[in-house]
Amino acid sequence: MKRHMLQFRALLSQSIQAEWASAERWLSPLLFALTMLLLFSFAFGRVEPAFIPQLFVAATFLTAFFALQIAFSRVLEPDMQDRVFDQLRSYPIAPTAWFLSKYLLVLMIGLMILLPTLVLADVFINETTISFLSLPLFVIATSSLIALGALGVLLSTMMLRSNARQILYPLLYFPLTTPVLLAAVESSKALLIEHHSLGHLLSSWLGLLVISGIMYFTLSLLLFGELVKPE
Amino acid sequence: MSNAVQQDRRSLLFGAGAAVLLLMAWIWALRFAPSEQHQGEVYRIVYLHVPAAFTAFLSAGFLMVFSLMTLIKRNANAALWAKATAEIGLLYTVITLATGSIWGRPTWGVWWEWDARLTTTLILALLYAGYLIFHSSMNPGPQRDRIAAALGVIIALDVPIIYQSVNWWRTLHQPQSIVRAGGSTMAPEMLVVLLFGFLAGLLMASWLLYLRFGNLRLQQRLEQYTYDAQTKGE
Repeated sequence: MKRHMLQFRALLSQSIQAEWASAERWLSPLLFALTMLLLFSFAFGRVEPAFIPQLFVAATFLTAFFALQIAFSRVLEPDMQDRVFDQLRSYPIAPTAWFLSKYLLVLMIGLMILLPTLVLADVFINETTISFLSLPLFVIATSSLIALGALGVLLSTMMLRSNARQILYPLLYFPLTTPVLLAAVESSKALLIEHHSLGHLLSSWLGLLVISGIMYFTLSLLLFGELVKPE
Repeated sequence: MSNAVQQDRRSLLFGAGAAVLLLMAWIWALRFAPSEQHQGEVYRIVYLHVPAAFTAFLSAGFLMVFSLMTLIKRNANAALWAKATAEIGLLYTVITLATGSIWGRPTWGVWWEWDARLTTTLILALLYAGYLIFHSSMNPGPQRDRIAAALGVIIALDVPIIYQSVNWWRTLHQPQSIVRAGGSTMAPEMLVVLLFGFLAGLLMASWLLYLRFGNLRLQQRLEQYTYDAQTKGE
């Protein structure tokens, strides 16, 4: 157990250093989110006031999901460039420690993208009836991140050897995360527009979000070892 | 007569039998089955649509079984079966979407509607396509088999959750009338045609699966021979 903890800490610190070596890596998804919010405002044009909250909740979550997908798809790239990945595969490292270190990294990057996106959306939407800066919404966003992050790490590891990963990643990521996107948007709408409580939401959409999170995390933890096994 | 020739002959006989049964099912459905009271003749497409949909979703279950066999038993043949299953699954999903769309035009007045089951089926088609593109974008070998198997497990396990979530989101499609608690609401003379069509379609899918598996195994052997020849040449 102690050995696994040490491995986890070493891998996490190596991953953070590799990620932080270039600010472009986490800044570009954020700039992408900003661009998406701008494009959505063009695409929607003038919207009937009654539809504004519903449209912008959906647009904000979609923006965040796109930006997160970009960040997650590149999470193992620094390792591949420095051939760290191949070396790690030949070391006696516990796959659980390796997965958890990457998962925690992804959660950190995810929060760094998700939170500013919510703030930007709140500023740009300029809609007084809804606010993206609330604790319950943060809970929903974080719950989505737990599910998305696990699948993000797993798909990123799968796509490492694929020749078509630029197209394959979104092609698989978005259909697989449909329940998460639906649950995040619907529970946010219920919270912001219909003013339901978190407890009430837990028995419906938020419950689905939690179940998806548990399922993706467990699956990813179980399957990661198979993906990094040396040939 | 060699074993391979005998096997080929048996496979052809099975395929011909499945094709005859399928033809009989279609003739029964299009000519002799009673027409539906409200929808009239357009309803008959259901005899092709529903069996195709069942087979498409059933393929996801088989994809999981073969993927787990690849991961747990390290069975290289199971990896080929898994790929063949995804191909058949995609074929039947496309048939489901096309027939659903043709039925939707006169019934709903549109070719496409973001109804729960249509959306789920489209997502399933995307997942099968993604799995197959992923498979073909990797170099052959045990690593590809393992990674594709992991993807197969995720896809198969995610399908029921996607189905349920989209169902919660929006439903325009008629409620379940065949497999439901309290028994089917379908008239027995219609249900029997549907079940016969399902059986015939399933037999045809099994034959196609077997053929495709044979092709993939042959392809794998050829790749291995080419690789061995190249290594000896070096």
